Amino acid sequence: MKIRFVLNHKKVEIDVDPLKRLLDVLREDFALKGVKEGCGEGECGACAVLVNGKLMNSCLVPVAQVDGKEVLTVEGYKNTEKYKIIEEAFLEAGAVQCGFCTPGMVMAIEALLSRNPSPEESDVREALSGNLCRCTGYNMIVDAVLLAARRGKGLW
Amino acid sequence: MKKSDTGLKKRISEPVKRVDGPLKIKGEAKFVDDYIFDNVLHAVTVRSEKPRAKIKSIKIPPLPSGYFIVDKNDVPGKNRVKMILDDMPFFAEDVVNYIGEPILLVVGPDLEKVYEIASRVKIEYEDLPPILSIEEALTSDKPPIYGVDNLFGDYYFEKGALDSCFKKADLIIRDEYRTGYQEHIYLEPQGMMGVYENGRVTAYGSMQCPYYVKNALVEALGWPEDKVRVVATTTGGGFGGKEEYPSLIAGHVALAAIKTKKPVKLIFDRKEDIEVTTKRHPSLIKFRTALDDNHNIMGMDVDIILDGGAYAGLSTVVLQRAMFAATGVYRIPNVRVRGRVVATNKVPSGAFRGFGAPQAFFAIEMHMHHLAQKLGVDPLEFKLKHALKKGDYTSTGGLIRSEVKLKEMVELIDSMSRYRDKYREFKKEREKLKGIGVSLFFHGCGFTGKGEEIIKGKVKLRKRRDGKVEILVANVDMGQGPLTTLRKIVSHTLDIPLDDVIYENPDTDRVPDSGPTVASRTVVIVGGLLERAARELREKWNEAPELEVSRVYKHPEYIRWDQERMEGDAYPEYSWGANVVEVEVDPVTYEVEVKGIWAVYDIGVAIDERIIKGQIEGGIVQGLAYALMEKMEMKNGKILHNTLTDYIIPTSKDFPKIESCLVENPYKYGPFGAKCAGELPFVGAAPAVCAAIQHALGIPVKKIPVTPEDIMDLEEKESED
Amino acid sequence: MVKVFMPQSLKEALRIRKEEKAIPFAGGTDLMVKRRRWRGLAPYFEKPVLFLHKVKELTGVKFEEGRIRIGASTTLSEILGNRDIPLILKYAVAEIASPAIRNLATIGGNICNASPAGDTLPPLYVMNARVVLSSFTSKREIKIMDFIKGPGFTDLKEDELLKEIVIPVDFFNIVFYRKVGTRKANSLSKVSFAGVARLDNGIIKDIRISFGAVAPTPLRAPEIEEEIIGKNKRKIIAKIPDILGKYAGIIRPIDDQRSTARYRKTISLKILEYFLKEEIK
Repeated sequence: MKIRFVLNHKKVEIDVDPLKRLLDVLREDFALKGVKEGCGEGECGACAVLVNGKLMNSCLVPVAQVDGKEVLTVEGYKNTEKYKIIEEAFLEAGAVQCGFCTPGMVMAIEALLSRNPSPEESDVREALSGNLCRCTGYNMIVDAVLLAARRGKGLW
Repeated sequence: MKKSDTGLKKRISEPVKRVDGPLKIKGEAKFVDDYIFDNVLHAVTVRSEKPRAKIKSIKIPPLPSGYFIVDKNDVPGKNRVKMILDDMPFFAEDVVNYIGEPILLVVGPDLEKVYEIASRVKIEYEDLPPILSIEEALTSDKPPIYGVDNLFGDYYFEKGALDSCFKKADLIIRDEYRTGYQEHIYLEPQGMMGVYENGRVTAYGSMQCPYYVKNALVEALGWPEDKVRVVATTTGGGFGGKEEYPSLIAGHVALAAIKTKKPVKLIFDRKEDIEVTTKRHPSLIKFRTALDDNHNIMGMDVDIILDGGAYAGLSTVVLQRAMFAATGVYRIPNVRVRGRVVATNKVPSGAFRGFGAPQAFFAIEMHMHHLAQKLGVDPLEFKLKHALKKGDYTSTGGLIRSEVKLKEMVELIDSMSRYRDKYREFKKEREKLKGIGVSLFFHGCGFTGKGEEIIKGKVKLRKRRDGKVEILVANVDMGQGPLTTLRKIVSHTLDIPLDDVIYENPDTDRVPDSGPTVASRTVVIVGGLLERAARELREKWNEAPELEVSRVYKHPEYIRWDQERMEGDAYPEYSWGANVVEVEVDPVTYEVEVKGIWAVYDIGVAIDERIIKGQIEGGIVQGLAYALMEKMEMKNGKILHNTLTDYIIPTSKDFPKIESCLVENPYKYGPFGAKCAGELPFVGAAPAVCAAIQHALGIPVKKIPVTPEDIMDLEEKESED
Repeated sequence: MVKVFMPQSLKEALRIRKEEKAIPFAGGTDLMVKRRRWRGLAPYFEKPVLFLHKVKELTGVKFEEGRIRIGASTTLSEILGNRDIPLILKYAVAEIASPAIRNLATIGGNICNASPAGDTLPPLYVMNARVVLSSFTSKREIKIMDFIKGPGFTDLKEDELLKEIVIPVDFFNIVFYRKVGTRKANSLSKVSFAGVARLDNGIIKDIRISFGAVAPTPLRAPEIEEEIIGKNKRKIIAKIPDILGKYAGIIRPIDDQRSTARYRKTISLKILEYFLKEEIK
């Protein structure tokens, strides 16, 4: 089936099994390796992307469901001003260790700040509650998000 | 000597930005599944569905062209994964010993087809009686899995005159503790890629120990060492789960690549990973303690039993570390410790952050609370009274040669947490079920006993023409930061900018064997060697445009250790910790809410305070979860909690902020005074939170995990009594 | 490859449902997990798949004539963001899974999945919600309590689709929800409790209680509620042992990997007791 969508700001079209998971389409057909399979059951968030601006676990999305929609992965986000603020905050707050959960976290953070540019700590924890991390214990990631929100005034 | 001019920090501890941070945040860091190879074949493993059985027949469906089976018949060398007892086969032979044991691989170009063929492989089994618990392993008359008595290890050491203690004791207290399984849940599942080219095989993948993998492949293939190469890819978490297990997978892909003459990729499905990879050893620890009439512990008899699962792996070493931690941070003049690790028909147990110490510290810390309660004394004062000091001897008769800052750490943590006040206050507020608990603990730096001497870790530093210096070691960054910390050590010693120090993911073709990335040894041992090598390089700097310096580990002269009798200095040095955890137990649902976490550590000197904080935060959260939520039960050898939906690890909402600090206590033989740090923060969390729960309920906690269901049982039993 | 349909109208969707006996696929968060095979592989469907995400008639939340009509494809996030949705349902939805799942999962999917632990169900039960089921040729409306027939089992006919959920708007001044999961976020319920009541001059004029995850379907016992209606707080407190005893008779949880029957039963009764003692004020 022909599926047409906007991927990282570019129109794309792909003829593929409509039930193929968006995660596999992104990684295999578009070589976007920033999206990771951590569990394949929608629990860990390592595969999280934005679909029409909404955070979704791409392991649970058959590609047919993004027909006509906009998909954003970290590859389409990493050149933005907003991303730079998040990256800088992550480095200063020590929010990355092994890095496997990180791209998914970045997308979850964009999803949060685009709706709530001045979140409280509890809002941040809620927004990241679907992204599992085994290395950091989360607190340093929460600090990074609050730091990014403070610095990014006006961007979100 | 080149002088730095790019603003080097004066104190090495001052944090720098992680060198591997930007690529990871951008999603550009390549994990094994991110590499694109032409003509790659996919592999799926066919595994035992029985906990113990003879394989009677294997029926393979017809294989289309380009699809292969790889099994025990494809192993040219030894079909045993090299570890300690070398009992685990790469592919099962006549017998299977746990559900999930690998029997064969299906390999081919289309993953869908490979999976489909694998699902249609039919194996006929003849059931054998499985041994499914510690008790069964010790007492049943079913045929043993290993040796004659199902024991991978049975060790024993003693100090002083324990038996006469018990005769003279004013009070003898018996006590028993249990801990459960724990699964690492590194976010990146296990994975390897095997490539066979020009008569050489290379294994790329997620791992902690490139040379363990290489040595295992050499033995499996029976090939000369220079025909085998291992390259670590960016590793997404390990925690010990990628210490030994990758050797098995690497063997699989290497054999498959050799057979098919194409690159072979094997990435674990998460459910598969949870079900079949190594787990933390469950434990049963018993105490018999003699007390005098002055509330002093005269002697302790400790019996430790670990559940090793179907194959030995690292069990004997895990057991030893547990044994050396058995009496905790306490000065016990008369000691006997017996340790056994049994074989059972379940998934093999293996390395996991702490490596036997978490089990032992949970038990000893809770036991000390129990003793204090029996004596009617304050638990913290009771612990402090017995705490080791410089000049004391450990349970194995090793001398504590450095300052032990426990008393200072306790005062510090008390002022941070108001532990003593709250301990008194909460006792009065029974309706709200508030509690606070404290734990004191250590971690031995580096390998146990003579381990580091046996490894003889070797490092190299290479000065290049352009003035940059490359670190050549086999140690892997799995998130804990050596790519940054080892660079800092070299950069500060040579007084050159951090950017001028190169350190790539290890490739056995290029790096010497500096030893595995385990036992919290990377900074203290490998970093120590690098510091000394860097000092030597600094002396010779102007001798030539290109230089190479290497260094091999030598045990500090003061270490005395008798492995046979387990007597002397079990470790060259110790790092120390104190944790306080405050909880509120919901009286309606028995859910435990952690309200506060405080931690103070002596890790010598921090090579990077921010990276250390990351280890503290991650280790504590993982340790709290070990105590509270990571339940893994088995039924007939099958893991019931085998998906991320059912095996519960914390989310961002589960635990509050952690307040932590370090006390400096430089170690003469550690780089810049550093000691070990990676595992220590895990060790103290479980006993602290359980002591808090115990305080809140007024009921002893004897096993972990302690779930709301368990608390309900404890409360109900208490009201019955 | 199995056939896949992506109709743009309800009529088209119903025709396909009838002719192909296709599996309705709304958000897919349950289906994609149930039918998952292996990493890197598409899920397994043995029958044709009917994607509903383009069917506009299944979306939207409308408030008319004292009833709220929620399109079956309304996502859980949309439910949280809508002013007209009653609080009791929002409380439950807020604790389902994670933000990413809530952006994809639909209320219709949660209902038709009919898990004994389905979190939208106890609130829908206490609100006396009804479901509208459409087929190519007809339409019917039944009580949600009659629609959910057993674990994973509903009254949805092979040619029907769940079109919308209808909730009569009633006024409650006591609204209480409690979920006990395996951790603080992103977890399945071990026990859930929805309790709403109208307290007028100290007398309970209306009270509705539903338990989730403690029986094959959510529990609601109007006959026990009747015994509480018309009473004041003091009389209710006196009657608590009797009420608990009656609910104890119908709460039938199981042991599973998440929890035990004993815990579920004990805790659900303790939550009920807490509700009656502390929340009725």
